[in-house]
Amino acid sequence: MIDKEKNTSIFQKRWQKFKSLRRGYYSLIILSTFYILSFLLPVIINNKALIVKYDSDYYFPILSGYIPGKTFGQDVPGEAKYRILKQSFSDEDSGNWLIMPLYPYSPFEDITSEGNKMYESPSSKHWLGTDNTGRDVFARLCYAFNISISFALLLTVLNYVFGILIGGCMGYYGGKFDLFFQRLIEIWSSLPMLFVIIIISSILKPSFFLLIGIYTLVNWISMTYLMRAEFYREKSKDYVAAALSMGQSDFKVMFKHILPNSLVPVITYFPFSVVAGISALVGLDYLGFGLAPPTPSWGQMLDVGLQNISKWWMVFSPVAAQFLTLLSIVFIGEGVREAFDPKVYSRLR
Amino acid sequence: MATYFLRRLLLMIPTFLGSTVLVFIILQMAPGGPIEQIMLQMQMGGALGVEGGGGSSSSITDEGMSLPPEALKELERFYGFDKPIYQRYLIWLGVWPREIKHRDFTIPVNQSSFEKRVGKKDGQIWKVDISLLEGNKLIVTEKNQSTKSLWHAKVEEIDKNGGLNGVIFQKEFSGILTGNLGKSYTYLQPVTEVMKPRFKISLFFGLTGILISYLICIPLGIRKALSHGSVFDFGSSVAIFIAYSIPGWALGGVLLVLFGGGSFLDIFPLGGFRSPSEIWDTLTPFQKIIDQIHHMILPVIAWTIGSFATMTVLMKNSLMENLSQDYIRTAFAKGLSEKRVIWLHAMRNSLIPIASGIGHILGVVIAGSYFIERMFNIDGFGRLAYEAILSRDYPITLGFLVIVVLLRLIGNIISDLALALVDPRIRFK
Repeated sequence: MIDKEKNTSIFQKRWQKFKSLRRGYYSLIILSTFYILSFLLPVIINNKALIVKYDSDYYFPILSGYIPGKTFGQDVPGEAKYRILKQSFSDEDSGNWLIMPLYPYSPFEDITSEGNKMYESPSSKHWLGTDNTGRDVFARLCYAFNISISFALLLTVLNYVFGILIGGCMGYYGGKFDLFFQRLIEIWSSLPMLFVIIIISSILKPSFFLLIGIYTLVNWISMTYLMRAEFYREKSKDYVAAALSMGQSDFKVMFKHILPNSLVPVITYFPFSVVAGISALVGLDYLGFGLAPPTPSWGQMLDVGLQNISKWWMVFSPVAAQFLTLLSIVFIGEGVREAFDPKVYSRLR
Repeated sequence: MATYFLRRLLLMIPTFLGSTVLVFIILQMAPGGPIEQIMLQMQMGGALGVEGGGGSSSSITDEGMSLPPEALKELERFYGFDKPIYQRYLIWLGVWPREIKHRDFTIPVNQSSFEKRVGKKDGQIWKVDISLLEGNKLIVTEKNQSTKSLWHAKVEEIDKNGGLNGVIFQKEFSGILTGNLGKSYTYLQPVTEVMKPRFKISLFFGLTGILISYLICIPLGIRKALSHGSVFDFGSSVAIFIAYSIPGWALGGVLLVLFGGGSFLDIFPLGGFRSPSEIWDTLTPFQKIIDQIHHMILPVIAWTIGSFATMTVLMKNSLMENLSQDYIRTAFAKGLSEKRVIWLHAMRNSLIPIASGIGHILGVVIAGSYFIERMFNIDGFGRLAYEAILSRDYPITLGFLVIVVLLRLIGNIISDLALALVDPRIRFK
């Protein structure tokens, strides 16, 4: 059997250290569980039934989408109303049955559908009440969680890819390339980012991916600068000279040899970039320059909530959701930083 | 050192030009530039309102058709949309002559000169002669031939009868370099006039916020560093985590719900910079102070929270780092009192990172407040810029950017200067 102590790489040691920091580790577990679960939201929180058994036939509305109410003998225009259908099935006691998702409200259904009311305060029916168009706040909150995290993760990854590529080349090649991008970065960083994003998205009316693109375009510089410094420092080390003397290509030296040695800032900044990404999305949505309207988003919910300030649940819910999410990411970030880039202070006494 | 800062000042110029070029291009090339936007609105008969639900009071969007063709033409001429983009940029900058005071005229067929009344000078009607040269060129001469005319003329088009439609104008160097930021579409006033009062409001708020956050964060950071690992340190860390995880403006929203009289307590006003002027004017000076503070408490809290976490942690880490240095050990070793070591030796060095942030204050004050100003309904600089985007008031948008970029560039230099002043080890070359 291999001796484990001997073979732990520096990364494994750091990971062990991270795991020993409870707050961050549990936050990571809880948050990633919720995030993975949030991809199953259409099955958990939805107004379409999972399975309907009607006259010895089985239907799967959640998969097949639109099924007119007439199919189930329901006298309604358009799509079947499954919550009412469930009620009527159990009243009739005819052997027909259906299974609803755990939380039978969709984030998009408003007052136009089956008994939704505006501004309902939280109850056992609507856990966090309803908003100004009768949409269920809790359902929207959960869907927005998935969108926010996906947005921030994608954004951060993209930013880092550009940052590593450009910053790496700047640090590695130096010279005119470096000088040119330094000027560009200086110009770029003198602009108020958020304002530029607002301007661009006021012109383009962005979709999810376009918004990520715009944000990346504006925000790539922070990681670029860090990576430039890292590559610049590593470049002069002996192992790089050794790799070069063995005839390794620049590309291989940069990404196979230097990059693994300069990942510390990438990893330690990652959670905080995600925090910044989520905050930015909430901010843009609040100002009305984020994702297009029906998309569930915390910022838009907060905006509507603040226009109806007497309906406290409409303000508190998105703020609390954002707060808890960000808090757990900050905990993760703190743990990661402690594990990967520890600052050791000798104590006064 | 002086050469270093001189060079920094000079380097500001290309950076400033670069960022203005960038923004100018974004705004001008974008589908929906000022002219296209207005044309679209006219074609749609004003059906295209402002989206996003901002409470803008735009005369263009509210009335839809309010911009007559002459105004559109004037706008086009003001922006020089008949010119290539680089000229437009130079005009906007103020280094290329801007054509102003356009007056249309028509020269009938077979006529080679024309007398045009262009306005008044010294209380008398001012007329100039326009004469037609070979190749449809126009020349303008004053009535008394001695002086060179201020006016220039050019042919715009030849109508189907063969008459010439021309325009006569003056040239003027006026752009952002001469302090002319243009005229706002929505306020119908020069941009600088619109900005001035709002700038003051934002500055007032921002400086109060910054001052308070310094007053809280520095002592708190010191206390945390000195009692690192204690219950106090842990407790305040919780507060810091909370403050870091909630944007200041979102907390502002929660505070509004709690204290603004919506659902719970009715202690503070819902927003506004101060009471409306009808009430404000009737107040005694003392009441005015109270009223002002009353309106400011919630926004300033929201403002302060924004920098609370980072600044406290910065102060704490900086002091702890210094306390672990050798010179502190030496100071203890030679028998200095703890007070003296901490407050005189360590503290001075720990304030360096805080001091270097001073230059960024202005930029943050100005640009960071769209949210808070919108949330608390404060008629400040950030909200002005936000509403300018909503109502596509490009002169204000561009003017805002110019000011913010300038403030940031100057702020960077001030930061370096402050750093050099407080840290004798730093020598810029």
